[in-house]
Amino acid sequence: MINLVILVFVGGAIGAMAREFLMLGVPDLSDGFPMAILVANVVAAFLLGLVTGLHKRRAVSDDVNTMVGTGIMGGLSTFSSFVYGSFVLMSASASAAAVAIVYLLVSLVLGYGAVRLGLKLGQGGAAA
Amino acid sequence: MRPLDIMWVGLGGGAGSLLRWWIGRVVGERYHGGFPLATFLINVSGAFVIGYLSVLFSVDWRDRFGTVLNAGVLTGILGGYTTFSSMQLDAAKLDDAGKRNTAFGYLLLSVAAGLIAAALGAGLARLQG
Repeated sequence: MINLVILVFVGGAIGAMAREFLMLGVPDLSDGFPMAILVANVVAAFLLGLVTGLHKRRAVSDDVNTMVGTGIMGGLSTFSSFVYGSFVLMSASASAAAVAIVYLLVSLVLGYGAVRLGLKLGQGGAAA
Repeated sequence: MRPLDIMWVGLGGGAGSLLRWWIGRVVGERYHGGFPLATFLINVSGAFVIGYLSVLFSVDWRDRFGTVLNAGVLTGILGGYTTFSSMQLDAAKLDDAGKRNTAFGYLLLSVAAGLIAAALGAGLARLQG
C-alpha cells in the first residue's frame, strides 16, 4: 500500500512537472487556442494507451503500470485547465467561443485516436 | 518561471494524483455500474474548484506559474487530480465492451458537466467577491 502511494505521488509529480515544461515550450496560438494543454493531453492519452496495452500482455509490471499510467499520465494530462480555459474563451467573445468549441472537439477526437493507437501498439497486434 | 515553481508543481501534482487515486479506489469499492463514475466525479469537481479559485483570486487562466497558488494549486494539485488521459481510456474500454454509445455519451457528458461546473465555480466566487 505504501509502495503504491509513493509510485502514484512520484509519478504524478513527474507528470505535472512535464506538463509545466510543455507549457513553457509550446506557445499558444495567436487566437488563444490552448495548444500546450492540447499537446500534453494528447501525448498523455497516447502513452496511457501504450502502457495499458503493454500491461495487458504482461510486458510491464503492475508497479510500472501504476506509476506511469495512474501517476505520470494522470499528472501530465489535465481536465480542469481543459474545460476552464474553454469556459473563459466561451465567455470572452463570439470568435473566442468558436475557438473554444474547435479546441474541445479537436482535443476529444485527437485524444481518443491517441489512446486507441497507444492501446493497439501496446498490445502489439497480438490476440487483443 | 523559477525553480521554486517547479517544486510546487511537482508537490501539488503528486498530492493531486494521490487524491485521484484514493477517490478512484473508494468509488470503485462502492459503485459497480458500467459508467466510469470515479473519473467523471473527479474531473467535474476539479473543474468546479479551478473556476472558483481562479475567479476568487483573479488568476488569468493562462498564468500557471509565479505564485504558490498558480504553480502549486492550479497547475499542480488540480492538474494532477483531474485527468484527460484516463477519461479517454475509460471511453476506449467502454467502446471495446460493445458500449460505443455510452463511450461517446460519457465523453460529451464529461465536457458538458465540466464546463457547467467551471461556470458555477466562477459564478460562486463572483457572488462572494
